[in-house]
Amino acid sequence: MVTTTTTTTAPEKIEVFIDDQPVMVEPGTTVLQAAAQAGVEIPRFCYHERLSVAGNCRMCLVEVEKSVKPVAACAMPVMKGWRVKTNSDMTRKAREGVMEFLLINHPLDCPICDQGGECDLQDQSMTFGTDRSRFLDQKRAVEDKNIGPLIKTIMTRCIHCTRCVRFGSEVAGVEDLGTTGRGSDMQIGTYVEKMFTSELSGNVIDLCPVGALTSKPYAFTARPWEIRRTDSVDVMDAVGSNIVVNHRTGEVLRILPKTNEEINEEWLSDKSRFACDGLKRQRLVQPMVKGTDGELQPCQWEDALVVAAKALKAANGSVAAIIGGLADGESLMALKDMVNQLGGEDLCTEEVLADAGTGTDLRSSYLLNTTIAGVEEADLVVFVGTNPRFEAPLFNARVRKAWLYNELDAAMIGPDVNLTYDCEHLGNDSAVIGQLLDGTHPFCQRLSAAKRPMIVVGSTVYSQPDLLAQLMQLAQKVRSGCEEGGEWRVLNILQRQASQVAALDLGYTPGVAAIRENPPKVLFLLGADEGTISRDDLPKDTLVIYQGHHGDVGANMADVVLPGAAYTEKPGTYVNMEGRAQQAVQALTPPGQARHDWKIIRALSEIVDVQLPYDNLKELRTRMEQVAPNLTRYGHVEEANYFAQATTLAKLVSDKGTGSVIDVPQKQLADFYMTNAITRASPTMAKCIVAVKKEAANKFVDPK
Amino acid sequence: MATYFGLDKFVKLFRILRNHGGIRASLYQLYRVDDLKDGVLVGEDVHGNKYYENPNLTLGRNRWVIYSPSVGTDYDGSMIPAEWFGWMHHKTDLPPTEIAPTAYAWQSGHEENTTGTDRAFMPYTTTKPKIEAWVPPKKL
Repeated sequence: MVTTTTTTTAPEKIEVFIDDQPVMVEPGTTVLQAAAQAGVEIPRFCYHERLSVAGNCRMCLVEVEKSVKPVAACAMPVMKGWRVKTNSDMTRKAREGVMEFLLINHPLDCPICDQGGECDLQDQSMTFGTDRSRFLDQKRAVEDKNIGPLIKTIMTRCIHCTRCVRFGSEVAGVEDLGTTGRGSDMQIGTYVEKMFTSELSGNVIDLCPVGALTSKPYAFTARPWEIRRTDSVDVMDAVGSNIVVNHRTGEVLRILPKTNEEINEEWLSDKSRFACDGLKRQRLVQPMVKGTDGELQPCQWEDALVVAAKALKAANGSVAAIIGGLADGESLMALKDMVNQLGGEDLCTEEVLADAGTGTDLRSSYLLNTTIAGVEEADLVVFVGTNPRFEAPLFNARVRKAWLYNELDAAMIGPDVNLTYDCEHLGNDSAVIGQLLDGTHPFCQRLSAAKRPMIVVGSTVYSQPDLLAQLMQLAQKVRSGCEEGGEWRVLNILQRQASQVAALDLGYTPGVAAIRENPPKVLFLLGADEGTISRDDLPKDTLVIYQGHHGDVGANMADVVLPGAAYTEKPGTYVNMEGRAQQAVQALTPPGQARHDWKIIRALSEIVDVQLPYDNLKELRTRMEQVAPNLTRYGHVEEANYFAQATTLAKLVSDKGTGSVIDVPQKQLADFYMTNAITRASPTMAKCIVAVKKEAANKFVDPK
Repeated sequence: MATYFGLDKFVKLFRILRNHGGIRASLYQLYRVDDLKDGVLVGEDVHGNKYYENPNLTLGRNRWVIYSPSVGTDYDGSMIPAEWFGWMHHKTDLPPTEIAPTAYAWQSGHEENTTGTDRAFMPYTTTKPKIEAWVPPKKL
């Protein structure tokens, strides 16, 4: 067999001149990109790096020497030796003319426009527009559209850049928005009145260069120059999107995405963006202790800590802890140290993860090993028991991007859900996994032919050890046929909770089975609000301590409530599903008497006489580093390996799971919005659910 | 002669003691208002406060009120009703016993200052709090 090795040499670069400055660029580069390489920014409205080129705003017109007409820089590839003039008389006159045409039908309502201060049209008309008006006619007016509870439309302001339309069809995969009419009758809309039903819909607000699409919950709230901005990390899912918390006078006004190419690019899911109003409702602002009448009564910190400490001492080591999905690494560390010193061993996370032989000893068995950006290199992805569209929307957007541009194919074992891209449905029977493993399933050929396949295992499989073990073996089997001599990582676990990876890194046990079997005398809940353990599972005399920021399921069943801080109010470490530690930064102070979570645990430990050996964040992080060094390597993906060992151990698993049907908890968009204590307290999320359910009854909408 | 020996002072003292209803009552008056003054009872208001005048005393001390015995030592300047206020402060020399003020239908009764009592007015905020605290649901 003759193998031909094709050595693809990089195409020769060509030289162009931007304002007489020579730049070497790849062939096929547009004028606008070449100018960006030279450090010259050409004004634009419709062009966006992450969307296809439309070329309809004409703002990027520049003069090219020996060309009669100005050319649209965003769509025109450069030719060898071109001399582009971005600041010539012709260029400036072209921009001025375009600006004049754009402003013909743009209302002069900047003073009452929410985009004011961060408006591209405002900025560019100041920089490139003419200083006087020749316009005396009537302005056009367009009817506003109702496209849901998140996006406010003022369609008269629209300049028809079609960024939102392109975002919908390219990134979100929802063909809801489009254009109707031509010329001055052109309108952006949904054809018939319907909602923009996407879990990424909020991004069109950021994309809109004018104030046509603005945020409904944020309407008329603040001006950009009044806002303080703090870069932080999102905790609504395990993706760990980078965010900018916009706050003023002690309250979060809005949350915007921060560009991070390796995680969220520049998008943000609606839950992360709009659930911030939940931070202002149902908060725990003072400690509470259950009185003799069985009702929680507000009290002072001292009283609550003493009650908790007495119970912890009296428990004589029978102490257990459950942590919720929003806990930060620091408080996880402090809680683990305290409970262990008291003699308790049952430290559990609410989110389960089946023990496929290795438990959580090998990191590769609970991480998204390929990494989020790594999806773009894959050629086949098989989802098992997960709906990434709602469990990790930005991961799903990555998969869609790869599906659209890199010829990635997707398949699904589980319910037939709409993932916004074509996905081969292999059925929801768990026997399919066994068939794939022993090679009897027709899909096996595809799997073995794939050069870089991914198997993404979701939450549903977590509770079925045998399935997870089979998937591990399958992944290892497929891996041997991969490119790069088995360096490619096939097995991926899609986590749903922001705290999960950090908790497993620190040695927590996934699932609360241990506590159910061996109920403790004192149960410490750190933000555990999913109700995995209820009062009925515990003996009557068990004292439940709840520490967290929202009054939800956990606080309801507690005897002592210690108010902690939400993710915008404390410096914290979160590890996302690919194993990347990131630092959330404190934007606000915790409300009322609430305190940072690790400080509460540190104070409690002193009263219980097991004083923790750290007094400040730096010392605490040093301790974290001793236990799990990757937790303080911020921004870095700590890779995991040992797949072979994990597979060997997985073969020993004989524990049969229950049920043969693989299902996912979040199937519809309505299931996406409320998944944790913050979102359950958010009025905006509640409105979204109502709107989406109402939309389901809309007879003009395609049910798929 | 009596004046020479200062006997008129004793006469005055005895008159004052008699007017106040004896030694015991005078001592109580002294304890209650720190003063024993000789004056003419001009009138009494609806609350039982008695108003006295003695033109021989210096201006500013020549009209006074002895509050109703029911309030004991817990009296306050705001217990004087509006109709007597003018006479007490020399806005007029005609007490309401001589010329009764016109009673209008819209007038409400006199109310004393409630500062420092349970009924005192306390200002409160009417704006919505930025953070809504969780209130534990009552278990029935």
